[in-house]
Amino acid sequence: MSDETAQLPEDDLLAAELALGVLAGAERAAAESRAAREPSFSAMVASWQERLAPWAAEISEVPVPPHIWERIAATLPAEKQNSGWWYSLAFWRGLSLATGALAAACIGALIYLGNAPPTLSPLTASIDGEGRRHFVATVDMTTHNVAVMPASYFPDATREPELWLIPADGKPHPLGMLRADRAVIIKMPADLAALTVGNAVLAVSLEPPGGSPTGQPTGPVIATGKLTSL
Amino acid sequence: MDFDTNRTLIVAALARIPAGDKAALQTVYRLTSAKLFGVCLRILGEPSEAEDVLQEVYVTVWRKAADFDAGRASPLTWLIAIARNRAIDRLRASKQSRRMAPIEAADDLADSGTRADIAIENAQDYAKLHGCLDGLEGRESAALRGAFFDGNTYEELAIRMNVPLGTMKSWIRRAMIKLKGCLEQ
Repeated sequence: MSDETAQLPEDDLLAAELALGVLAGAERAAAESRAAREPSFSAMVASWQERLAPWAAEISEVPVPPHIWERIAATLPAEKQNSGWWYSLAFWRGLSLATGALAAACIGALIYLGNAPPTLSPLTASIDGEGRRHFVATVDMTTHNVAVMPASYFPDATREPELWLIPADGKPHPLGMLRADRAVIIKMPADLAALTVGNAVLAVSLEPPGGSPTGQPTGPVIATGKLTSL
Repeated sequence: MDFDTNRTLIVAALARIPAGDKAALQTVYRLTSAKLFGVCLRILGEPSEAEDVLQEVYVTVWRKAADFDAGRASPLTWLIAIARNRAIDRLRASKQSRRMAPIEAADDLADSGTRADIAIENAQDYAKLHGCLDGLEGRESAALRGAFFDGNTYEELAIRMNVPLGTMKSWIRRAMIKLKGCLEQ
């Protein structure tokens, strides 16, 4: 082995060989089994896949015979309830990565391409302030659940983010505390849900731990977002 | 549809699959199956085999969608890796790769002008990879090409390029080291 080869650890080279596909037999089986057991090795393989994948741009698309989808669909298990995406971290992670209109397109796609549309269209809001998207919220108008996912919100040292609904009359109603590290789902009372029509806004203020003691925002409102129907 | 919109739709659909949403799998299939079929067909050569493998690919996507992390990988990279892996599994189960014609390093130079299909991939990533591959020696990039597009093993590449196995291993390893260094610049 030349001196150049010494520049990469053996594991990284093995990961490269597995991703490229040059291994066979016992070597390939052993490397695949390591990738299944060792997250650090699996991450190296994924990095090599990422490096090589753009090469596939040279492979032309080939139309697939129509019966193939039917064969795939026939092997899938019976349908589960389709409400699970609401609680899926992957969904919210994907949504918070998307930006601007794409975030809306994302939810739009869920409804347009989904099985059965919800009875009532959900509402969505990008809660932005000072040029940053702090949170992304979606209101399921059938269940009155508000799901709020942190986007580029950075936790404050002493205060916690509280979510407010500000209907057309301009008077804030507390909805609940948000988290910097994960999505929260807040059940909205029916009387507040009725106020989401018109020019309602979601706002986030920084409050003492546990929330505003007065029922009105006491700290700075750092971000707001208009609720939009999809 | 442009690259970013496609990517967003694929990510959103993948995220719905773990909840058991068949329509989401169908969306992923609609957006990506022609590409993945091309990948399988390129490696396997036989349409009927590529169809079988394509079916396995989407059944794998159905079972493993929860493992996909949009923060770490592009959805198409993840899908292409599954397709290549399944197609190579199928090749390895048979005696040898379908594509075993001798490779001349010079052939690769003529090939490097292949027009890329950038509708679904990120054109910048492709341009960067292509630039780095152009920086390799002809025989190194020819060997990598045989591995990536034809699914050849070390042994098969050694036969196709008429060099000892040990030489082929060091060519490929050296090429991968250079490639990584170049892509990280």
